[in-house]
Amino acid sequence: MDTLQYALRKLVTGIPLVLGVTFISFVLMVYFGPDKTYELIGKNATPEQIAEIRSQLGYDEPFFVRYADYLRQLVTLEFGYSDSTGERVSRILTRTIPVSLALTLPGFVLGNVLAVVLALVAGFYRGGLIDRAIMAGAVVGMSISFLIIIIGFQVLLSSSYGINYFPVRGWEVYSLADYLYYVTVPTLAIVFVSLGYNTRFYRAVIVEEMNRDHVRTARAFGTPPIKLLFRNVLRNAAIPIITRIMFSIPLVVISGSLLIESYFGIPGVGKVTYDAITTGDQPILKAVVGATAVLFVLTLIATDVMYKVIDPRVSLK
Amino acid sequence: MTTTTAETAPAPRKQGESLWSKAARKLLRDRWGMTSLVIVLVYLGIALGVWAGLWGQDWNTLTPTINAEASAEHWFGTNRNGQDIFERSIFSTKTAFEIGLVVAVLSTVLGAIMGAISGFFAGRWPDEIILWLKGVLDSIPFYLFVAAVAFALQGYAFSMHVAMVATFWTTTARLVRAEVIRLKGFEFVEAAHALGVPEWQIISRHIIPNTTHILLVQATITFVSAIKSEVILSFLGLGVKNGVSWGLMISESTNEVTTGFFNNFLAASVFLFVLVMAFNMFSDALQDAFDPKKT
Repeated sequence: MDTLQYALRKLVTGIPLVLGVTFISFVLMVYFGPDKTYELIGKNATPEQIAEIRSQLGYDEPFFVRYADYLRQLVTLEFGYSDSTGERVSRILTRTIPVSLALTLPGFVLGNVLAVVLALVAGFYRGGLIDRAIMAGAVVGMSISFLIIIIGFQVLLSSSYGINYFPVRGWEVYSLADYLYYVTVPTLAIVFVSLGYNTRFYRAVIVEEMNRDHVRTARAFGTPPIKLLFRNVLRNAAIPIITRIMFSIPLVVISGSLLIESYFGIPGVGKVTYDAITTGDQPILKAVVGATAVLFVLTLIATDVMYKVIDPRVSLK
Repeated sequence: MTTTTAETAPAPRKQGESLWSKAARKLLRDRWGMTSLVIVLVYLGIALGVWAGLWGQDWNTLTPTINAEASAEHWFGTNRNGQDIFERSIFSTKTAFEIGLVVAVLSTVLGAIMGAISGFFAGRWPDEIILWLKGVLDSIPFYLFVAAVAFALQGYAFSMHVAMVATFWTTTARLVRAEVIRLKGFEFVEAAHALGVPEWQIISRHIIPNTTHILLVQATITFVSAIKSEVILSFLGLGVKNGVSWGLMISESTNEVTTGFFNNFLAASVFLFVLVMAFNMFSDALQDAFDPKKT
């Protein structure tokens, strides 16, 4: 019961954050955004026609009415219709978000799991050759641009200059085999780009934990390495690791998929957002930014609640 | 603050050594750190040369030889417009330093000020407002934010820089805030209070100077983030508008690699990779040098 109350209280503190995000993005994207009036009307329009279009788009309303309208859309999850395709924004989102999740999830999970394993190995042999090799690899990984990784993997795996086994672009998934066929190259790219940063972060956390007295005692008592790492180190290092994973979820789904999807031509939410940016499709941008902000705040709250579940020492204040 | 030069640095450790002289001594001993610093300085030299008009001026000259292989005349060959890839890579070094320096300096200054105010007034309203602003900026997806800023500023050449500064300062501010909260409890701040030094002067004279080591490290990290983000943004069509950059070269090359022409891609990638790698290593070396736990 306490936990529920705690979560609700946190939810209230999340409101100013959502208001801030929506306000800034509204000012930037909608108020200063491109004027769509002249794209929607024909040539030689009369002033009445122009006025009609402007009132359809809501441009004639005062600033705060338009902002309030946006907030109402966010609460009711009803964002109207896309300017460019005329499709309902909520339908576009329900169609594209699963694609993006299916695309980024394997890479995200693998990138974090592999990084934790590498960090445990590096932390266990810290100062040694293995540790130094892993950390040098991490710095190299951190230094390669995401775009270079994507192009590199595409050339190596999907073109006749490499093994030419995977598709260059596209997403036509009807079965598991299709899925593996299309998801492999993007997944490798996502794992590669996140591995360096993740490994470094997790190693720092794990090394900090390895230096604690209880770990030294456990070692002195002859606890086998695997048991030591998982029971004595990883469990105590769980909070910073989980925080990082949780916080990267909303941004990885949107920002990560933006580049991957527009490069590989995959019809996910990132591609839709990218197209909306280039065409100035405001209903979609409003929906994506608003939804990300809400997702971010919910993640924040979920993380706080999770601390409580993992670590009983965290107080519910 | 003592200024320690290279000659005095390797001297044996003395009592009451300052953070800076100790850091300089540690950095000079760090072989990888010094190597990476030299690489960064070489790049800086290239950028300054372009800026002074010594080389890299022919990046936009069209020649009749299209997609040429590397030769004595065109060291890295030419792209599909017949422009010399080597010249373009060299010129892009200047672009990268322009973006990196502008963004690193501005976001570090902004982060320092905001972090100092936030930490000094921790728990009071200025802190609440700054924390809220940081939370807001952190929860807007970066590329969307840049796109929005680009639209709001309508083709203004510095819209990318503005967007980066607006998002990158938050990390610096968070670190500075934590450090300032720690510093606030020290006697010298208490003494300044007791002497009646105005609060803004305590912040600017006594607190911010004590966070410079954090700012320096953070500036190098921001520099790297800025030039890495430029590549992605230029590919998405939101980045460099006039001139050429490694990002633009790589996005040009996406059409070429599928037809087996790799010069553009490789040249830009290698230039970018070496600079980012060196900067990352230098940043690590700086961090180690300032870390009192490491000898």
